[in-house]
Amino acid sequence: MDTLSLLGYGFGIALSPENLVFVFIGVLAGTVIGVLPGLGPISAIALMIPVAYGMDATTAIIMLAGVYYGAVFGGSTSSILLNAPGIAGTVATSFDGYPMARKGGAGKALAIAALSSFLGGTVGVVLLMLIAPYLARVAMSFGPAEYFALMVLGLTAVVSLAGDNLTKGLISAVLGVMIALVGIDGQTATVRFTFDLPELYEGVEFLIVALGVFALAEVFTILARRTAAGSDGTVTSLRLTRGEIGQMAPAAGRGSLLGFFAGVLPGAGATVASFLGYSAEKRIARDPQTFGTGNIKGIAAPESANNGAAVGSFVPLLTLGVPGSGTTAILLGALLVLGVQPGPLMLTDRPEVFWGVVASMYVGNIVLLVLNLPLIPVFAKVLKTPKALLVPLVVVFCVVGVYGLSFSVFDLWLLLGFGVLGYLMRQNGFPAAPLILGLILGGLMEESMRQALQISNGAWSIFVTQPISATLLALAVLSLAGPLLRALRQRRPAAATGGPGNGGGQGESEETRGQARS
Amino acid sequence: MLSTPRTPRVTATVAAGASVVLLAGACGETGGQDANGEWAPEQPIELVAPAETGGGWDQLARTSERVLVDNELVEQDVQVENKPGGGGAIGWSYVDSANDPHRLFVTSPPILLVPLAGESDHGHNDFTPLAGLATEYMTFAVPDDSPVQSFDDLVQRISEDPESVSVAGGSAPGSMDHVALAGAVQAAGGDPTELNYIPYDGGGEAMTQMVGGHVDAVASGAAEAAPMVESGDARLLAVTAPEPVDSLPDTPTLQEEGIDYDFNIWRGVMGPGDMTDEQVAYYDRIFAEMVETEDWQQEAENLGWEQSYMDSEEFGEFLDESYAESAEVLDEVGLRGDQG
Repeated sequence: MDTLSLLGYGFGIALSPENLVFVFIGVLAGTVIGVLPGLGPISAIALMIPVAYGMDATTAIIMLAGVYYGAVFGGSTSSILLNAPGIAGTVATSFDGYPMARKGGAGKALAIAALSSFLGGTVGVVLLMLIAPYLARVAMSFGPAEYFALMVLGLTAVVSLAGDNLTKGLISAVLGVMIALVGIDGQTATVRFTFDLPELYEGVEFLIVALGVFALAEVFTILARRTAAGSDGTVTSLRLTRGEIGQMAPAAGRGSLLGFFAGVLPGAGATVASFLGYSAEKRIARDPQTFGTGNIKGIAAPESANNGAAVGSFVPLLTLGVPGSGTTAILLGALLVLGVQPGPLMLTDRPEVFWGVVASMYVGNIVLLVLNLPLIPVFAKVLKTPKALLVPLVVVFCVVGVYGLSFSVFDLWLLLGFGVLGYLMRQNGFPAAPLILGLILGGLMEESMRQALQISNGAWSIFVTQPISATLLALAVLSLAGPLLRALRQRRPAAATGGPGNGGGQGESEETRGQARS
Repeated sequence: MLSTPRTPRVTATVAAGASVVLLAGACGETGGQDANGEWAPEQPIELVAPAETGGGWDQLARTSERVLVDNELVEQDVQVENKPGGGGAIGWSYVDSANDPHRLFVTSPPILLVPLAGESDHGHNDFTPLAGLATEYMTFAVPDDSPVQSFDDLVQRISEDPESVSVAGGSAPGSMDHVALAGAVQAAGGDPTELNYIPYDGGGEAMTQMVGGHVDAVASGAAEAAPMVESGDARLLAVTAPEPVDSLPDTPTLQEEGIDYDFNIWRGVMGPGDMTDEQVAYYDRIFAEMVETEDWQQEAENLGWEQSYMDSEEFGEFLDESYAESAEVLDEVGLRGDQG
């Protein structure tokens, strides 16, 4: 059978009334759970697994896949509205989504996120369908050396996340990498930087850091400012001008592709994808200075990338039987219990599962969009909540989210600590995003570096003699060289004052041009 | 350090019923004993999986829950609780602190290995073994085009040039995959300290890395190796079962290869340290009935578990033996962490 007739076969399965109902239930449950800070796709799927047990395998995986991309999408809502990213994959969305919401564009920011997610998901499914089996083989050529190089390339995104002071950005990133080293070392089982606290043996949970340095730090900042003014003129309209769509679409298109391919690599996943998407978009933009202040492309790129990656991560799961992320690891467990062994033979042994899932993703993405666009004005009203209520609300969300992880009071102190750290960093001009980036990439970078060195018996040449690894490292050097040289050249006060003005002007002119065309 | 008091395991050697009067006093506060000296749970049974949902422990807990309830083998409800963290240590201390005969946990070799590595304050002696439910075996795999022909051949190559052969596994050094591998290498006459062991985050990942040409061999559970073997990308050198395994007709056991070693990824259920003989007898009965059901056999086949039921007493003896063996291997490899 060719791909089209197989897809037709898949749609036959996905559009059966029972499966259609469960796609809907899955997407709805995923979105609702994902909206709550602290509950990301992993928790959402974990909560739904007991529901899936005993179901027909295809129906169960269709529902769980719906939960997954529903939750990835839902996570962006709290990121945009409250600056409280519930999951790693939506941290990058908050960089521009939250400023846009603060400036009165909450509805617009959410609409951009919804449309970009839809695009990312759809592009991902098309690619999954067409090239999954071939891609799986490519993903296999990624060994430890290649992963290390990829993580290094990812870390160079610091340059675009650092804001005006590269040094402070680098310090922040190094701090993030250091936090990633806390806990029992996976290679030698040595306990590191735990100060004899058993609570730190498993390392520092990403969510605690993210909620601390973003959401709680924001709360502290608001409190310190003591401003009584409630809303910053919240506009709940979600209408986008054609000019805005013209800005969004290409960025979301690039983000979708990048996200999908990053998602295919086991270990990289939605988070790396969204950061790469964001920093790539900023690098090629003509108005990089407006990133971080509510740039449309700054929302479209990470949102499309994390949804593309969510779909991409099904490639290694379904074709190799290898979970590429915590979320797909849980899905793998669920599949095994349901009697499906994913792997190279799944396409021939259980085509109904593979093609049913692929077709259900088309359906699910449409359900996601239809379900969420009408809800946006409702969500956006959150920002109309008076500050006296909103601040405690954010605090409660953070506390519940963190406490729900492991029911540990220690984690709450840690949350408070990171909140204070985030506040101090903000007061002193240290950007928080590089810290998060370092934390996310640091662990995998170290692990793969040491695996590679163990395979090569300590020879560092392994990183440059492998073609893929060498290419990625060369790209990393190149992407650092440009901005570093520019920073050196601009070591004059002009850098600080000239930038934003120019950028703003450019952004506007682009917008007007877009409108003129329409 | 946690200051949880350690309670010794009550060995179930006293014949049930013989000393009912004495024991009835011992279990006064939680006992649901009737006149015949039989115990039955008075509230829902909590089955703790000391890990996230989706993993091996979770699968075992949820499968047991469903089979027990669907087949009406228990009068009370069964509830699965996930208590992840510390490689199981968080869940173990949760069960130990409650010391309630209604709160059990599912278990496998980490209950022996994690304490041996010095990473848990609770070991198997703090709990009461109730049932060994299923078993899976380790396999050793190489890429299909590898020149390595047998496990002996692999050990030979390691002995000749340890640095040239990297063997991956799906867990950290000193944990299951590594211990099984090191034990087998030692039994085959190799030096386990020379092994170049590369840890990955799971057997499936290790297999992919091997097929991708990054490592030379993999030690993993049979189920994790299966997909790549069935697709012809990988080949199994040996399986660590004592007898040939039905589902792997073409794979020799180490014993058949002349290496006196087997390793068993057993799975079972344990309860808190203080349990009366009546309570143990109750669980002995329901788990023995559970593994006989058609449901259970079907699930076990899906998950690649071999049937290997052990009652509480056999399971207890088995645990003590395995503990001694694992301690020896870890000592040998220099990864023992519980004693200086």
